[in-house]
Amino acid sequence: MTPQAIIKANGLSKSFFGNPVLQNVSIALEPGRIHALLGENGAGKSTLINLLSGALAPDGGEIEIDGRSHRRLTPSEARRAGIAVVQQELSLTSDLSIAENIGLGAYPRRFGLIDYKALARKAREVCDLVGLEENLSTPVGDLPLGRRQMVEIAKALFRKPRILVLDEPTSSLSAHEAQTLTRLLQRLRQEGTAILYISHRLNEVMRLCEHVTVLKDGKVTADRSLQGVDAAGLVRLMVGRDPGDLFPHWTPSPERQTIVEVAGFSSGLLRDIDLDIKRGEILGLGGLVGQGQEDLLLGLYGALPASARRAVFNNVAGLPSSVSRANALGLAYVPADRKREGLHLIHSIAWNMMLPDFGKARGLSRRDPAAERKLATELADRLSIKGDLTRQVQALSGGNQQKVALAKWMPADPPILLLNDPTRGVDVETKREIYVLLRRFAAQGKAIVLSSSDTPELVHLCDRVAVMREGGIAALLEREQISEEAIVAAAMGAEAAKVAA
Amino acid sequence: MSSLTRTGDDRLYWRAQGERNRGLMGLFAVVAAFLALYAYLFPGLLSVAGVSKFAQSWLPLALVAMAQAILMLTGGISLAIGATVSLGAVIAATTMSGYFGVAGGIVAVSASGLAIGALCGVIAIRLRLPAIIVTLAASFIIGGLALLILPRPGGAIPGWFSDLLAGNTPAALGLVFLVALLWKLYLATPLGLSLYAAGENPVGAYRAGVPVDAARIAAYAISGLLSTLAGLFIAAQTGSGDPVIGQAFTLNSIAAAVLGGVGFLGGRGTMRGAIAGSLLLSVMINVMFFLGFPPVAQYVAQGLIIIGAVALPQLTARFRRRP
Repeated sequence: MTPQAIIKANGLSKSFFGNPVLQNVSIALEPGRIHALLGENGAGKSTLINLLSGALAPDGGEIEIDGRSHRRLTPSEARRAGIAVVQQELSLTSDLSIAENIGLGAYPRRFGLIDYKALARKAREVCDLVGLEENLSTPVGDLPLGRRQMVEIAKALFRKPRILVLDEPTSSLSAHEAQTLTRLLQRLRQEGTAILYISHRLNEVMRLCEHVTVLKDGKVTADRSLQGVDAAGLVRLMVGRDPGDLFPHWTPSPERQTIVEVAGFSSGLLRDIDLDIKRGEILGLGGLVGQGQEDLLLGLYGALPASARRAVFNNVAGLPSSVSRANALGLAYVPADRKREGLHLIHSIAWNMMLPDFGKARGLSRRDPAAERKLATELADRLSIKGDLTRQVQALSGGNQQKVALAKWMPADPPILLLNDPTRGVDVETKREIYVLLRRFAAQGKAIVLSSSDTPELVHLCDRVAVMREGGIAALLEREQISEEAIVAAAMGAEAAKVAA
Repeated sequence: MSSLTRTGDDRLYWRAQGERNRGLMGLFAVVAAFLALYAYLFPGLLSVAGVSKFAQSWLPLALVAMAQAILMLTGGISLAIGATVSLGAVIAATTMSGYFGVAGGIVAVSASGLAIGALCGVIAIRLRLPAIIVTLAASFIIGGLALLILPRPGGAIPGWFSDLLAGNTPAALGLVFLVALLWKLYLATPLGLSLYAAGENPVGAYRAGVPVDAARIAAYAISGLLSTLAGLFIAAQTGSGDPVIGQAFTLNSIAAAVLGGVGFLGGRGTMRGAIAGSLLLSVMINVMFFLGFPPVAQYVAQGLIIIGAVALPQLTARFRRRP
């Protein structure tokens, strides 16, 4: 029927720490076809690429290249088979020149030395392909991000790949560069290269690709031709799982008084944002990873330089200038990376829970072990943290660690909680406990800002959702407007009209 | 689309080399200024004997600066340089007057340097241990080894060999150029150039097919070799071996590399910078001596200059960001 696939993955499975990331995933890449791989954050796309390029070994399943099956594909076998990957995060060396970066790992040699003449010739060839006009001797560190991305692509082409995998290649490209890339991919397709294209920009996918595989929660939910599918259809394929009874019943809180109000707020990526946060609500922050959600939380928390035309926190005008000032204003922040930013892993559970108190204590005042023990036990009860509180935090599961990170703020009873992806890497049971806890906080009249990469969480837990995109708020959805489709569509810049259809 | 050769593509190697000078122009200017000041204070410098003497005082520092810089390029650092210099000196002083003569001594010194460096590298890289701890431990072991071989200063270097290296000839200057040239050759090999990628972004380099571990272990071996050769030269200078003579070189090597713009995080900096840094340090010490600074003031000035050299780029970057 169709041309023979160059590379075929059959029934791949992979788990990290008992957490299944990919389950029974199959995909076949054919020469002369641009194959799109779609999925939300954490759907398993990057893991699949790492399996295909040999960077990770699958727990189950096999990879077939030209009909030969490999149980354990090594990176060098993958390279020899002609697989080249343009990774999402850049892998260039800033002190080396463009040409030296492009040839890295595959330098042409003469008498054991790098053959700079041949390197210049071949590097120029691939630079022409991607439209890099810069001098080949320019250090990569001098290039803006978009040009570096083009060098990265040229580096993949340098090895004359038969299978080219691009992981979100256009996220940092200008419109002109993206156009060059489109032309290049169309040309490679004609020459018979198999291309796997990962992108969050649906318009691009619709324009460029013929075939799509959609991953959702580590499983393939669609593997079909793109013919007759529209953007709304793609969004539907990526979302819409059954939430089951993971989430507590949503009831509006009685108290809806504005407690934080900022206008013209800028911080990090963020430019000129207006936002108000109310007591008794959970305000969700959605969007693709890294669109400014964290900058917003840190900016509000005084941990990142921020400015605002107008700001009122808990009836006090002005932005908090430091973390301790923010704490005094009634803000508490629970970071996403609890291992590095939220907890002190080698210290005990009780010690971690006391930490904000230590920060407030007057210098050289005496600790009161009995009171500390009492408080720790109370907190553990409230958040159902089980077991011996003198254990090191690192002995706990991810979910319980998260509860400790939350618990430490409870004694101060902060009215404003800023939570950065609190359920990432947390098991289902603990997730549910955290959800119940958050709704209870809201009912008590606290204001909660919840940044999450998990869309169902935003849909079922939040009173309002701000969808962030490129450092701005792309959409502010009220309760009745919130749906996975609406959030994903706003995050990816698909037109709302198409989704509503 | 035909591949058009653009101007300069055919001279890629030299142009890429030229690009690496760019951040160093300030340093080169400062070095030149200090050299001029030195020559003004001490006109005797501008003679064969003057150049010879100065090069002899500079060469060991240049060698250890390179030994340190190559490790800093991998993202590591060595606290064992001084001990390795001492070991090189005692091995030279005990073997050269023996049965195998000067040639045998050079082989023994080189082989021990390569072996010790490679061993440190294997331990640090293969076991994924922090370089600073591994080389700290190694400095005790290597230093002990040197004391075991020669408990007190002694041994001998044949007079003709001492005269050849450290006599009234500018041989030391020639050696600096030779070592720099050999480094250029090494950097023109795939393994050598890969050092930059392995140091700055090991995961990316590994994915691109660079033998990351091999490149780093080779760097440790070369670092060991340069250190023991510095010891050999010092032994030739003094005519004998001293088991603790290298001590000051550990920190001075870091100082020279940092002055030369070599970064602590790996993959940043150049060898020519490190050599220029060592030259600056040598000239500075000599100039301060001629200006009659007391030794204590010399140390303080040295420290201030180093902290200034590191802080300067940071400060200028901050000024540029906030116009």
